[in-house]
Amino acid sequence: MEFNQFFSLKGKVAIVTGGGNGIGKACALILAQAGASVAVSDLKLADAQAVADEIAASGIKAIAVECNVTEDSHLVNLVDRTVKELGGVHILVNNAGGGGGGRENPRNITVDDFAWRFKLNVYSAWRLSQICAPHMKDGKYGSIINITSMASINKSPNMSAYASSKAAMNHMTANLAMDYGIDGIRVNAVGPGATKTAALASVLTPEIEAKMLTHTPIKRLGEVEDIAGAVLYFAAPVSEWVSGQVIFVNGGGIQTLD
Amino acid sequence: MSAIEKLFSFEGKVIIITGAAGAIGSAAGHLFASLGANVVISDLNEEGAKQVAAAIEKESGKKTLGIKTDATNEADLEKLVKATLDTFGKISGLINNVGWGANTPIWGSDTDKMVKSYLLNTVGAYNLTKLCMPHLEKEPNASVVFSGSMVGVTPSPEFIEYSTAKAGLMNMVRSMAVVSGPKVRFNTVLIGSVDNGDSTLAAGYTPEMLKALSDMFVMKRRGAPIEIAYGMMFLMSDAAQWITGIDLRIDGGGTYKSKMPTKKD
Repeated sequence: MEFNQFFSLKGKVAIVTGGGNGIGKACALILAQAGASVAVSDLKLADAQAVADEIAASGIKAIAVECNVTEDSHLVNLVDRTVKELGGVHILVNNAGGGGGGRENPRNITVDDFAWRFKLNVYSAWRLSQICAPHMKDGKYGSIINITSMASINKSPNMSAYASSKAAMNHMTANLAMDYGIDGIRVNAVGPGATKTAALASVLTPEIEAKMLTHTPIKRLGEVEDIAGAVLYFAAPVSEWVSGQVIFVNGGGIQTLD
Repeated sequence: MSAIEKLFSFEGKVIIITGAAGAIGSAAGHLFASLGANVVISDLNEEGAKQVAAAIEKESGKKTLGIKTDATNEADLEKLVKATLDTFGKISGLINNVGWGANTPIWGSDTDKMVKSYLLNTVGAYNLTKLCMPHLEKEPNASVVFSGSMVGVTPSPEFIEYSTAKAGLMNMVRSMAVVSGPKVRFNTVLIGSVDNGDSTLAAGYTPEMLKALSDMFVMKRRGAPIEIAYGMMFLMSDAAQWITGIDLRIDGGGTYKSKMPTKKD
């Protein structure tokens, strides 16, 4: 394989959920830089459109799709539009997700709130993988990358719903790798540590940041590009014999909110 | 140079690779040289090391050093570091790839065999890394990658010396990682069964056993040496600057269920 083929995604089509900002945006941009056409999906269409426009300006095809990943009809529409307008689906980055930012006190959180995290972080990724898999099989190339979280292995206060949903995602990744492997589809996950995004900024204080860095060998918080680099590795032909893996991109440490 | 090429460029880097006359080490040597690095091909097999180095130099046009090293001999490791510095003036990366294990029945080992395996597979990597540290610390995004093995994770009664040494190696790498950031990153590539050509057959595996092994992987095949080298490349690249202390499993999706087949299987 020549260098240009290692990471070349020319002729491939990628879907990135939650692609309008932060980690999702960085993933969409790096996959496009590697040559993939990208369907940028986001709850906020304007944000997705801005990223799609940025990609299109570089000469790569991109579409923006409004999508609430907890709505089945939205997921079906996302894949339909991607296949119709970009010609298939080869790469899926299940990035949309969220949690309570350390405010999930188990004494107060409702059953509905708890179930909502699983719907957002687990079911959505499972269902979108299910809808995309036949297209990946037809296209003879499939790589699903789930964005999990370091919270999936940490023990953190007031995070039982989010953290357990992300732990479920890790194990789902390993299991789907077995199931979809026979169709030539790889399933892997990237677990970011505390990464500088708007979501983190909402809970970060200088004191929390300093504390996080005391347990981080690489003395800085993550940048969205750090996460996107690992996603590119899993998306590209360079990792063709890698499946069922969860890697943590976290500066070697743990960053918790306590 | 595109943004992606820049992310994976090793121009101006000097990388030592041990066990580099073998399939995985030499694949890594060719790969890193093709991406701009000067590589040092170290192996116990002097002729092999020199041949691989010459082939890399011819293919890439990059000056390449081939040198004999016994990874269990501290004087040899010192010579390797000195030769690298004398030739290239710096060390930007190290791949501790050397390792070997005999197929031994679980109760067929003894102190001498266990200790020898530990010295070769674990202590050698420790000693070489220690010697390289002062030089790595001076280089941007310096990184050390270790060749781990799936037998270091799964129960491997048929490789009791090798598997316990590889398990020790993995934990050693994690310890190095937590104290060595932000200057140097440490990661392990956890290798599944790789198609080494004739050398696996020479070790006593029959084609039927290898077919049974291939079928255990989700991908229904053994890995190619270059696929391991790609993982090493990713971990050493600028794309992985916030990654340290991880085990990247390159195993066709199969580590958690695979076991080397025995003749009984």
